[in-house]
Amino acid sequence: MLDLAYISAFSGLRSIGDGRGVIARERRGIAIATVMARKGQGTALAAAVKEHFDINLPLGPHGSGSVSTSFLGTGPGRWLVTHDAGTPRFVERLAQQLEGLASVVDQSDGVGLLRLTGPALLDVLAKGVAVDLNTTAFPAGSVAVTQIAHMGVTLWKVDETPTFHIAIARSMAGSFLHWLEASAAVTGLVADG
Amino acid sequence: MRIPCPYCGSRDSSEFSYSGDATLTRPTPDNADAMFDYVYLRDNPVGLHREYWYHAAGCHAWLKVTRNVSTHEVIEAVLAHDEAAS
Repeated sequence: MLDLAYISAFSGLRSIGDGRGVIARERRGIAIATVMARKGQGTALAAAVKEHFDINLPLGPHGSGSVSTSFLGTGPGRWLVTHDAGTPRFVERLAQQLEGLASVVDQSDGVGLLRLTGPALLDVLAKGVAVDLNTTAFPAGSVAVTQIAHMGVTLWKVDETPTFHIAIARSMAGSFLHWLEASAAVTGLVADG
Repeated sequence: MRIPCPYCGSRDSSEFSYSGDATLTRPTPDNADAMFDYVYLRDNPVGLHREYWYHAAGCHAWLKVTRNVSTHEVIEAVLAHDEAAS
């Protein structure tokens, strides 16, 4: 099978403004897949995920993960899976492991991932996200599928620094950066790597 | 107006698309008159109503929302899938 050349989704990411309000870094080389439970296979799927990954499959909008693999709840019977240990053919293997229990679709080349942190991050996200992202309503581990400036995003809180990971269709990456630059310019946006 | 999605939590109505009256039952296809009524004739009720809403920009679930169409107060939202299964 042919390996395609890797092209960054967020090569246009650059620092803007003064200050370090928001620090953004592209997460590269991550295997990404959507997993949708087949009809009536929810319990068996949870058991298989437990067996293969030692992960308790989240039933709500939360993330659950091991060191390198995360299952993020994005809807009833739907998950976004990320894997950052560089295992070759991770998604292919995942599809085999969940054969008959879930539909697994490789999104590695279709979704761009950003890691966002910084002291002004919540204020900047509030300009685009109509969901309460503060600790009480949205503790670390929470996942939200929503939209920013009409662009569909999946975002999850990694820790209370706060650090967020955000997934966007890569065809929207340029428009998303435009929104991020415009929204974070006043506090300063730092492209970190 | 905000809709309390049973999966995602409270979300702005702009994330949803309205998908019709949830009190109707689809007639059998051979009953042409009943099908005509079902497809084309809409009631315009006052007060409490049940509607289908699709969470297009969120979890992609179909909801049955109980709503006061006069005041826009949203009383309840359940997953249509769960209700169909029960």
